[in-house]
Amino acid sequence: MAEPLVAWTALSPALLLGVTGLALLLVDTARPKSRSNTSMAVVSAVGALASLAVTVWFVVAGTGSAATGGAITLFAEAVKVDTMALFFTAIFASVTALVVVAAHDYFHDHDNPAAFYSLTLFAATGMALLAVANSLAVVFVALEMVSLPSYALVAFLKTNRGSVEAGLKYFLVGALSSAVFLFGISLVYAATGSLIFADVAAGMESVGSLAGVAGVGIVMIIGGVAFKTASVPFHFWAPEAYEGAPAPVSAFLSSASKAAGFVIAFRVFTEAFPLGVSLSADINWVLAFGILAAVTMTLGNFAAAVQEEVKRMLAYSSIGHAGYALIGLAALSADAPGNGAVMGAAMAHLLVYGFMNTGAFLFVVMAERWGIGRTFEDYAGLARRAPVACTAMAVFMFSLAGLPPFAGFFSKYFLFLGAIDNGFVWLAALGAVNSVVSLYYYSRVVKAMFLDDPASAGALDALDVRPTALYAAVVFAAVATVLLLPGFGPIIETAQSAASLLF
Amino acid sequence: MVNAFAYVPAVVLLPFFSFLIALGAGRYLPKGGAFGGITATAGSLLLSLWVAAAVAGGGEYNETIYTWAGGEQFELTFGLLIDPLSALMLVIVSLVAVLVHVFSLGYMNDEGETGLPRYYAGLGLFTASMLGFVVADNLLMAFMFFELVGLCSYLLIGFHFREPGPPSAAKKAFLVTRFGDYFFLVGVVAVFATFGTAAFAGEGSFPALAAAALPPDGSVDVWTPGGLDVGTWFTVIGLLVLGGVIGKSAQFPLHTWLPDAMEGPTPVSALIHAATMVAAGVYLVARMYGFYTLSPTALAVIAFIGGFTALFAATMGVVKDELKQVLAYSTISQYGYMMLALGAGGYVAAVFHLTTHAFFKALLFLGAGSVIIAMHHNEDMWDMGGLKSRMPVTYYTFLAGSLALAGIFPFAGFWSKDEILYEALVHAPGEPLLFGGYLMGLLAVPVTAFYTFRMVFLTFHGEPRTETARDPEPVRWNVKGPLTVLGSLAVVTGLINMVPVKTVFELKGIDYLHRWLNNEWGGIEGLSSHHYADIGPYSSQPIVGGEVGTVLAGAAVSLGLALAGLGLAWQLYGGASPAEHTAKLGGIKDVLYNNYYLDELQVWLAYRTEDVAGVADVFDQGIIDGVVNGVSSVSLAGGGRIRLIQTGLVSQYAGMITLGLIALLVILSVGGGWFL
Repeated sequence: MAEPLVAWTALSPALLLGVTGLALLLVDTARPKSRSNTSMAVVSAVGALASLAVTVWFVVAGTGSAATGGAITLFAEAVKVDTMALFFTAIFASVTALVVVAAHDYFHDHDNPAAFYSLTLFAATGMALLAVANSLAVVFVALEMVSLPSYALVAFLKTNRGSVEAGLKYFLVGALSSAVFLFGISLVYAATGSLIFADVAAGMESVGSLAGVAGVGIVMIIGGVAFKTASVPFHFWAPEAYEGAPAPVSAFLSSASKAAGFVIAFRVFTEAFPLGVSLSADINWVLAFGILAAVTMTLGNFAAAVQEEVKRMLAYSSIGHAGYALIGLAALSADAPGNGAVMGAAMAHLLVYGFMNTGAFLFVVMAERWGIGRTFEDYAGLARRAPVACTAMAVFMFSLAGLPPFAGFFSKYFLFLGAIDNGFVWLAALGAVNSVVSLYYYSRVVKAMFLDDPASAGALDALDVRPTALYAAVVFAAVATVLLLPGFGPIIETAQSAASLLF
Repeated sequence: MVNAFAYVPAVVLLPFFSFLIALGAGRYLPKGGAFGGITATAGSLLLSLWVAAAVAGGGEYNETIYTWAGGEQFELTFGLLIDPLSALMLVIVSLVAVLVHVFSLGYMNDEGETGLPRYYAGLGLFTASMLGFVVADNLLMAFMFFELVGLCSYLLIGFHFREPGPPSAAKKAFLVTRFGDYFFLVGVVAVFATFGTAAFAGEGSFPALAAAALPPDGSVDVWTPGGLDVGTWFTVIGLLVLGGVIGKSAQFPLHTWLPDAMEGPTPVSALIHAATMVAAGVYLVARMYGFYTLSPTALAVIAFIGGFTALFAATMGVVKDELKQVLAYSTISQYGYMMLALGAGGYVAAVFHLTTHAFFKALLFLGAGSVIIAMHHNEDMWDMGGLKSRMPVTYYTFLAGSLALAGIFPFAGFWSKDEILYEALVHAPGEPLLFGGYLMGLLAVPVTAFYTFRMVFLTFHGEPRTETARDPEPVRWNVKGPLTVLGSLAVVTGLINMVPVKTVFELKGIDYLHRWLNNEWGGIEGLSSHHYADIGPYSSQPIVGGEVGTVLAGAAVSLGLALAGLGLAWQLYGGASPAEHTAKLGGIKDVLYNNYYLDELQVWLAYRTEDVAGVADVFDQGIIDGVVNGVSSVSLAGGGRIRLIQTGLVSQYAGMITLGLIALLVILSVGGGWFL
């Protein structure tokens, strides 16, 4: 499908997600009594998978790619569909599918799980819209479309203190960040006179004495991005929200929502504030991202090393991975040929991360479903009763740590290699040191599951419950994490060619 | 006519399928999958004969089947190379494999062994690996199958893994041959780096490129490290590959694994020593002989190692008490002869001895297996005696094999050994290393005859010395059949290459093996004995009385020495109740019993290696781990601090977010000079 018959069909991945969410609402409203957790989960999963299928088809067919007539713009250039947008939509749809399948078992005894599915799909719709946004206004609206359902999702367990508290904190920090972000947009508009990315870039070239205003605006936009990607110093919400939220929501937020933050960062900072133009206006945002990347990965990994609860460890580790992905922006330099390579590597890392991190959180979902505790000690000896799930978890852990032969190794390898090629050896070195630290706490999980003895003889009796859908989701994520290794060639090529178009 | 060469992959794959079947379904099949193995190897044998017939009809085959890694500098491929040498070897390997499979019915099934599917799976994979090695068209593929052969030998030697000896012997075989293979691997890499190809045959093959790169031709430029002289570098490569050969063919000093490998089931010993693993090393040298002939130094080293091993191993065989141990040392010794032949430029002689040895050594091992069945798995020759009349088929076939091994006219071993010594002799003048090899090879002749007939006399002659020997367990057709086939071959195989008869009586054309390997019927350009003789460093010089005189003198001397050894054995052990004479050797006896203390030397060397490794360990523990531990303690301490700022109070978070944003603003604005 090189040229869509009707231009708006290029948005079908996002539309499919949105329509599925609406359909769920409709069913829930029309027949509240007959609603069932299973049918809701099935409809959501089918919607997400359909969206994924269309996205993959678009990527394969080359919709919006340079080879078939370039990006497709809609609605007075407010929206732009290109390969990068589709790449990220694929991440969102995959994670959504995994999460809704897993949620089926998590909410098996919940009174009213319907809202969860529709909120998740609405958030996913917002993410898909973020991926295609071509105007700062659309970016802000889509960002709120992601954030508002997310707040509700974190506080979804209304009777659970932790969940409600986490939701409130997330909301307050989010409100602050949105305000900062919106203020940044207004300053940029003041300096450049436009919200469309291309026009902003043109305005930046003649920004003149307003460079300071634009600069402050850009730093504030960085703040908004940092909130969405859970980067320092806007990361404070993440450990608390991930810990308090229902575990499927944590999986969703830490994988999909984070990737949504990155798609907007990659797009805005390459299209609206191109590096060469920004540098000539003395706005060195690469330095800002360099600082953020370094601080974020160090803080995330070091804090993860001292956690006692697995879920909180994963929360900090996801902050650390945000730091790695930020290298995709921090290791750019004007007119360097390797820019596309390093940003493409960051995109590929986010894709791989989408599977391995979601899988890891879904394992936590399973642990919560079993009702065993949350600490490393509570995971002791799990492998004896649940060898398949524990093997999958070990795959996630080693892949997150970046050990071969798992997909996480290659994505990290290409990322660091890209940084070195672009002359940012220090970032790659710091990333390597952080990876070593991360191996420590990731392997703690594996050690507890496989080597340690259970605390008491009856400690593992709860494992008699076998949540089928959850197992399926975890195993699928593990298989994907392993299969992405042989499949890494086409992925990194797609990502790097998509990223190269931005420069 | 259907093209025989299209079925070459099937030769390799048939035993591989029998491996899969025995492994997957062996426990449900009668006889633990033995019939599948017999069928598969028999199929391989028929196809091999067909292929050999096709080569005899003027055919040859050299094709790449599959490129599994392609690059700009070189490609890594699997391919098939069928020429007279590999066709002959295919027949030998598959024939011995069939007979070993049949014999296993008697040795393993009838003896009520357990784990038979594992056994037949191992045999199948072993045969398949060896056949794959034989047809390999490039050095890397050869290396891969070489390694597979090593792996299979590990699995089969350690077949009785619940006893203490076999696992240890299997590990030893694996490690010692692996030590040699390490050099081989470096050699393979060196070949790729130098020539960009590892093909054995054809215009762009590495022996052809090497020939073209050497002066006086010099038409091809090849890479050498640090501008090293081309000839010297080729010698280095040749010696590196030779490392693998020395390990697999059990040449000094890496021969120590082979006697221990006797812990494996006896049919496996027959397969390993006659046709597969040990033969692989010699075959490899023959396969890339066009490369070795370019380096006189490498040839001289091969010849000297071969001659030395021939004598050295033979002396150790003299004092052994166990039947299979004697055969083990004779194997080492006989492969030494083949190496001597190759080093002496006697390409045909080496292949000839490889062929005859394959038959008579398989025969001797299977005969020993038959004796072992009869003796209820007692291998001590001093507990035997008088088996001659009680198991006549085994006796007469074993005798034929022994006469061949001792090199007595007109048995197979006489012709091949005689030709080796003749080749070494006529090429020796002016080559001190080669002459040394020849002398040691000659000295090994009487020693070989002595230990062989000491074994025969102790086992079969005289009075039975134990109750078991008085009433041995009978063996069945499946033992006698293979013995009969191999016994006949041990008598007649020499007839394929009666060079002395041809020379003396001037009967043209009866040296069939010479003509076969000289591509007279068919073959690949550049892989013929004629070609090797042309590019080789040696020239023949008759020693006494012209060519005829030298042939006759050489044959007479080696036959006389062999008969002398035989006679001494008869003198000492031929009586009705022979006594041990080893005490007469005095201190030498202990040295020989303990195999010249080479095992102890290797263990000592291994411990010295461990000392070196200890230094590396200190470095690893102190420096590397120190850094890592430092990082971890710093990170744990740092992480503890970081936890403190996560207070749980949203107002503080908001404050810190704002402060962070302001810090970022300040850094960028000051750096960019926005408000100046």
